[in-house]
Amino acid sequence: MRTMVRLSINLPKIALFVNLSIPVIALLFGLAGHYISFYFHFLTVFFLLLAGINYYYRHLQTGHSLLRNFGIIGQLRYLIESVGPEFRQYLFAGDTEERPFTRVERAEVYRKAKDVDSSSAFGSLLEFNDSEIKLKHSLYPVDKDELIPYRVTFGEERGIKNAYTITKPFMISAMSFGALGQNAVRSLARGARMAGIPMNTGEGGTPKYHLMEGCDLIFQMGTAKFGVRNEDSSLDDEKLRDLAAEDKIKMIEIKFSQGAKPGKGGLLPKEKITPEISALRHVPLNKDVISPPHHIECTTPTTTVQFIKRVQDVSQLPVGIKLCLGREEEFRTLIKEMKKQKVFPDYIDIDGAEGGTGAAPKSFMDDLGIPLFKALPFANRVLVEEKVRDKLKLVCSGKLINPGRQLTAMALGADAVYTARGFMLALGCIQALQCNHNTCPVGITTHDPVLQQGLIIPDKAKRIANYVKNLEHDFIELLSAMGCRSTKDLCPENVYIPRSALFTLPSTTQKRTWKS
Amino acid sequence: MKCYPKWLWILQIIAAIILFQTLWFKFTGAPEAVATFTLLGMEPTGRILIGLLEGVAGLFLLIPRLVASGGLLAMGLMLGAIIAHFTRLGIVVENDGGLLFGLAVTVFVMATIITYIRRHQLPFIDKTC
Repeated sequence: MRTMVRLSINLPKIALFVNLSIPVIALLFGLAGHYISFYFHFLTVFFLLLAGINYYYRHLQTGHSLLRNFGIIGQLRYLIESVGPEFRQYLFAGDTEERPFTRVERAEVYRKAKDVDSSSAFGSLLEFNDSEIKLKHSLYPVDKDELIPYRVTFGEERGIKNAYTITKPFMISAMSFGALGQNAVRSLARGARMAGIPMNTGEGGTPKYHLMEGCDLIFQMGTAKFGVRNEDSSLDDEKLRDLAAEDKIKMIEIKFSQGAKPGKGGLLPKEKITPEISALRHVPLNKDVISPPHHIECTTPTTTVQFIKRVQDVSQLPVGIKLCLGREEEFRTLIKEMKKQKVFPDYIDIDGAEGGTGAAPKSFMDDLGIPLFKALPFANRVLVEEKVRDKLKLVCSGKLINPGRQLTAMALGADAVYTARGFMLALGCIQALQCNHNTCPVGITTHDPVLQQGLIIPDKAKRIANYVKNLEHDFIELLSAMGCRSTKDLCPENVYIPRSALFTLPSTTQKRTWKS
Repeated sequence: MKCYPKWLWILQIIAAIILFQTLWFKFTGAPEAVATFTLLGMEPTGRILIGLLEGVAGLFLLIPRLVASGGLLAMGLMLGAIIAHFTRLGIVVENDGGLLFGLAVTVFVMATIITYIRRHQLPFIDKTC
């Protein structure tokens, strides 16, 4: 029987040929070096070394089967694979394929940040096969001059004198000095001041670089409470009081969990603790610091609410909490406990599981937590059902980098939106995915002074301001197209959830009570 | 960051010193060096070129991040020297009792040990992803 002859690459034969060729070529150059010119021996030596390396691959190393079987030619696979991410991003990945942000999404942010024409031609690049969430417009759009200016005041429910008002719905989400280099922090902070929006400091201790640029700040307190801690990660009231007295610190945020790594503590290895980090975070030099997975004060709903109350009393500022939704009933229990104690945080930030981070274990990033557009309506519904929606504000975060997702979030219940990576993209982030290696090629998530040179603070601050300006422009346009005079008019009916989506929203009969 | 044995630095320093001490003879055009390279048919370009490369190899052997590359370069250079001794110069050069040849072999062996132990530093040799 004739087998079909197929033109194919026979890798074992090629490898055999290469492996035999290397010593033969070395020998040929050796002869040339002997009989023609001694200079040929440069090549003899090169091929001899190559033969040596090949010998190492084939007979000495035991880690890589491929190299043991095929020798040096097997290295080609690793070489080509190692440049794969760059090639995919530059040439081959489709405009809507990349993760976490597609090129279409990133390009939108870049254009907004550079303040250039953002119109598109011919048609959308996104899917229209009933798989994507869309916004619904109205037959009767509102004139833009009829819109009620956006205004949300945190802390008004408690009637405190330090209540904090924002006039744009965007806030820069938590990014610490540590995760980011100083140039990046200062560019963001300066941009935030120019745009008139607040910036979250992240859990990096005393926000020295954030404070330099004079923008409004939300001080984030992680489970290790860097900057306001005692030795055992408990809260030092005095330190918090001093910090809260700082004029530019407008709100305090207690971080319970984060979408990218919910329920995960952390370890700050002593190698990373420079004298500066040690001073800002109030941790000793030469000793690993453990971030516990939870605030040591908060072990039950009762103690958690008591802790919120304590932070409110000590700081005299609006106090929010940040969490990624996990088990739904725990959230409801927490809200019930708040009702019982009559203590409410001034806002709750729901962080979707799709949220970003500088470094987290892959399984935490990929597999833990509830995605934002499922978690947010749930949280809102619980608050409405428990009749406490008017006691606090709801803020959310998780890939909210463009007006579409931001408005979706607001229609699903949020009063304001946080984004960190949106602002990083505006700073010039190219999604190289190296935040955890101190090698950020655009100098954002690195402390290497050489790499930070490229990040010029005044120029990048302008981009942050541009990004906010253009976000607000789109936000207003969309809002009026959707027939809403203000964000308070937004409701789930404004969102089209495809049937193929795994979740449904509560019935729209709740429309007007959606936000009380 | 991988830790390498401290004693390796002794080898690195000895190899670097041996590489550096020949530079003087090569760059000043000492008669022995000129004679050697004339025999090889590489005078004077080859003498200067080899000298420069030996300088680079010696320098790299003393810079922590570049030790393995320096070792590999030194291996190549010494391999060339050994070939020269076998094919053109002979083991004993100008009644040195095989000193030059001995040094070349010594540096080659040391460079091989250094490079082997530090092979993970080499960009494409053992670092695979």
